[in-house]
Amino acid sequence: MSVVDSPATRRPNDPGRSQQHRAPGHAKPKRRSRESGRTPWLLALPALVLIAGLLGYPLVRMVVLSFQNMRLRELLSGRTPPWVGFDQYTKVLGDGVFWSVVGRTVAFTFVSVLISVLFGLGIALLMRRVSRGVRLFMVVAMMFVWALPQLVAAQIFRWMTDSDFGVVNYLIDKLPGVDYQNHSWFVNPWQGWSVITTLVVWAGIPFLAITLNAGLTQVPKELLEAATVDGATPWQALRNIILPILKPLIMIVTTLSVIWNFGLFTQAWVLRDGHPEPQFQTLATYSYTQAFGQSRYSLGSAIAVITVLLMLGVMIFYIRQMFRIGEVD
Amino acid sequence: MVAPAASPAAPAPASTVPLKRRRAKGDDGVITVGRSRAGTILANTAGVVFSVLMLFPVYWVLNTAFKPADEVLALEPTFWPTSPTFDNFISAFKAPLFMKDMLNGVIVTLLAVAGALVVGFLGALSIARFSFYGRKAIILVVLVVQLIPFLSLLIPLFLMLQSADLTNSLIGVSITYLVLILPYTVWTLRGFISGIPRELDEAALIDGCTRGQVFWRIILPLTGPGLVATSVYGFIQAWNEFIIINTLNSPDKQNLMAWLLQNQTTRGTAWGPLMAGAIITSIPVVIFFLIIQRNIATGLTAGAVKG
Repeated sequence: MSVVDSPATRRPNDPGRSQQHRAPGHAKPKRRSRESGRTPWLLALPALVLIAGLLGYPLVRMVVLSFQNMRLRELLSGRTPPWVGFDQYTKVLGDGVFWSVVGRTVAFTFVSVLISVLFGLGIALLMRRVSRGVRLFMVVAMMFVWALPQLVAAQIFRWMTDSDFGVVNYLIDKLPGVDYQNHSWFVNPWQGWSVITTLVVWAGIPFLAITLNAGLTQVPKELLEAATVDGATPWQALRNIILPILKPLIMIVTTLSVIWNFGLFTQAWVLRDGHPEPQFQTLATYSYTQAFGQSRYSLGSAIAVITVLLMLGVMIFYIRQMFRIGEVD
Repeated sequence: MVAPAASPAAPAPASTVPLKRRRAKGDDGVITVGRSRAGTILANTAGVVFSVLMLFPVYWVLNTAFKPADEVLALEPTFWPTSPTFDNFISAFKAPLFMKDMLNGVIVTLLAVAGALVVGFLGALSIARFSFYGRKAIILVVLVVQLIPFLSLLIPLFLMLQSADLTNSLIGVSITYLVLILPYTVWTLRGFISGIPRELDEAALIDGCTRGQVFWRIILPLTGPGLVATSVYGFIQAWNEFIIINTLNSPDKQNLMAWLLQNQTTRGTAWGPLMAGAIITSIPVVIFFLIIQRNIATGLTAGAVKG
């Protein structure tokens, strides 16, 4: 029970929590740190070397690549690819296809995050309202969904929306006056994207609802009781008490959802059998297809650089938020 | 108990509810003022409907996997396998490369997790237990690299591993996975180590322990549960990955996730064995996940709500 119920609830003894009560800045014995001047660096060295070598260097290499023209020939011969300056960028940015991919990715991110967060919040509020047994059922159901690997979840949805034997077509076909036999969900991009969005929202709700529900347990009961006694409607209580207290948490989970959904790859990839049509390309699949499908490694890198730049604002916001809430002392 | 109300969104005014109901039995710590029985029934119904809808895909994969082949491809799908069979699981195990890819996945995952745990623990110790110039910079680096979409680094990583002759090898993928889970490992373990009161270290030092003894006798044992949780999370990450391994390695050097992906591109998907394979692949992840899920949620949003 204690494992499943309200997972993110803070406990005073939880590891990783108590440092907040300790005001670390004051408690640090200064003398010891001077004694061990080199120890912390030696300890951190292996991690730093690995991060620098396999995350930092590739990041630099990616930028460098985007100013070169690396094709299959250079890859096989091992020669340094020719420098082409901003050619890759002008090619990408001057391409209408690229801009439609950007627009699609942004629109998908906006819609899917909005639906996910609203649903997650609604489910979290619902969890506070239902009886204990129902709440446990909800948590267990969401845990199973959360635990499923992305690829498996996507395969399940591909099977359920299969045009010949999919259960979704069968069920919709049962509705009076609707003919959905052998209906293909990915002919019309709007329908295809609604399947992808459903999959992403379905898979994202557990994290959002369970985290927000844990946040809701932190809303002081006395405040809500006082408000109710004073005649506040539930809507007023939600708007004026619950949401303001929950705001930092909502910001964080929204930011994370934006980062995750903006990088959508697996779902579109699997549902489109590893060959997404142009109308199902996102920035991630587009960059991947250019690089590994067409051996245009430099063009793919340029797209990846632009993707990272587009996300930079959100990332900075997330990191600032993490610093502000004091988790990073 | 008498307050009439229509929906959970608009319960009866508080004044009509007897205050005695404030703490209904079994409703642990949930506000009950202004709540009607009808509203609760409605909320419970909504909760059950929601859970059933959420579970439907999970139920459907189980349902499919236990059906005989002709029932899987029936125009009228059965909602319960009439003659449940393990055939799909058997053909998944017998499928080419399934066992090999499973073994590959285990090797790659274990190598990556073991490496990340050792390296990550030392790094976490450094930023959790020492105050030194540059500590904040390291924390910032650890936070930032978690956010870089790993997929965008795949092109340069592929080229690097290619020139080091490490593509199509389990070692190359293991190292890549190690780095993939390293930042999270450092970050989570840092939280666990900071949770151990510094006074314990100091007391031990005063009692004559060396720094090494403090590490072996205090910090390491007390971080035990954290190490377990972190390594399980790393396991899930590495086990679930398929894009990198699918790009770097040929099918006989891939893992089960990539196997599931390959399986779909062959002419006409064999849905039964595919779903059975999906279940086999998910079982370790689901079990592990259910054990440690509390830490995952807190790790991502730690401290976002001040208690």
